[in-house]
Amino acid sequence: MTFSMKRVNAIFQKDFRDISRNSAVSITVFMPLIMAFALGKMNEDISIDGHYMVINIAMVVVGSFIQCCLIAEEKEKNTLRGLMLSPASTLEIIGGKSLLSLLAMIIIVVISAMLTGYKPENIVIIAGAILLTSFFFIGLGTLLGLLAKSVMEASVIIMPFMLIFGFGSMATMFADKYPILKVMDYTPNAQLADIAVKIESGVGLGGVWLNFGIIILWIIVVFALTVAVFKKRKMD
Amino acid sequence: MENIIEVQSLEKVFANQTALEDVNFHVKKGEIFGFLGPSGSGKTTTIKILTGQLNQTSGKATVFGKPVSGMKNGESRKKIGVLTDNSGLYGRLSIYDNLKLYSDLYGVTEKRIDEVLAIVNLTSEKKKVVSKLSKGMLQRVTLARTLLHEPELLFLDEPSSALDPVNSQHIHEGLRELKARGTTIFLTTHDMNEAELLCDRVAFLNKGQIRLMDEPGKLRKQYSDSTMTVELKTNEKVVLRSTAEDAQKMFNYMASNNVAAIHTNEPTLGDIFVEVTGRKLS
Repeated sequence: MTFSMKRVNAIFQKDFRDISRNSAVSITVFMPLIMAFALGKMNEDISIDGHYMVINIAMVVVGSFIQCCLIAEEKEKNTLRGLMLSPASTLEIIGGKSLLSLLAMIIIVVISAMLTGYKPENIVIIAGAILLTSFFFIGLGTLLGLLAKSVMEASVIIMPFMLIFGFGSMATMFADKYPILKVMDYTPNAQLADIAVKIESGVGLGGVWLNFGIIILWIIVVFALTVAVFKKRKMD
Repeated sequence: MENIIEVQSLEKVFANQTALEDVNFHVKKGEIFGFLGPSGSGKTTTIKILTGQLNQTSGKATVFGKPVSGMKNGESRKKIGVLTDNSGLYGRLSIYDNLKLYSDLYGVTEKRIDEVLAIVNLTSEKKKVVSKLSKGMLQRVTLARTLLHEPELLFLDEPSSALDPVNSQHIHEGLRELKARGTTIFLTTHDMNEAELLCDRVAFLNKGQIRLMDEPGKLRKQYSDSTMTVELKTNEKVVLRSTAEDAQKMFNYMASNNVAAIHTNEPTLGDIFVEVTGRKLS
């Protein structure tokens, strides 16, 4: 499989020009910031769960929801077929289509964290964990976008996933009554929050490697599914 | 001459419906090959198989001497251009921005964008946003995108279906120029005039089967009934055959200065299609 950064950049630049004229996406991008601003103003001493609720929402909204809608729009308007018929490889198209959402997500997450006043004990490990989790959310958005037939359908099918991966960790509060909800502890967002809690209590990289491993496993699964669905979509 | 496309016993079945059945043809290098048939006859299915967008059920299809399954890799994609009826353009971007994306994907210079815009007669419109374009203009932008990387083989699915006569003529001139430069063109259309004007050879496709294939001129001769119609000044119309008796009649009409007009009764490709398939091309 070939990989040309020039082709990835071409798709990224196209998306950048296109998204600046897409008011629906432009507005959605700023929603997590409004929430972060409100939370930051309401509460001086926000818990780690509070910070990560905002970060998770930023990731799921910008990373998954917007990515899902962008991919679904390419499918709906038949422009994805144009890219598939070009010399761009699967990796270049998925890479190019993910770059803008990834950059936007990182920027929104950083600004959200600043607005809620989150200052992690170990910025390097936390930055690495957030970046890694971002790949999962982008992959999830790409996968669901490829499965949807239209933007409308995409915005519906992503909802349960937004609930699970955005707010799923809250469900573990009821795990005593419903043991099945324990499974929510293993979602990438729950693992990210767990890393953050451990880092705040002074644990180093050695204490969070299992969390990183679980997140990487999610990334492998979601991207394997994404590539498989993409290749299937290349054929009628 | 080298065959660019070779198709043998091609068959495509969707669920229980046969879309293509025992299709055989070849397309020579530098040729404009017309694949003619009404909607639903299997033209687009054939293009999708030849461009690697669809797997055939059985049979053999090669492009540039390689099985069509190889059309999925980037290097093969650079050699072909595909124009389909669905534009696949980015509506919020300008014509130029749409072409810029593809010039980067194919690795061609920005100068080439201006060249293709000139071919499709859109140079002065390049800053227009695609969503504001008419159907005909969209078709021309899509064609410009298809021509950007100067493909050796062009698949054109109804290229002038949405165009007015002036722009159709402009596109036809562009296609003739491409042919003169050695580009091979696989053209599907149900416009018989377009096929007669452009194609070196045509194949009539009906219900997934090729019913007839030859040069348009040869087909017209083959299906001609060798008659002509003479319109007399008395408003009478007389059909004459190539017999001694009718030749004498013609001589008499001319000698008496009674001839208003003479029409040959050579059939059009549309007439031949109807005769062969019993269906109209619309």
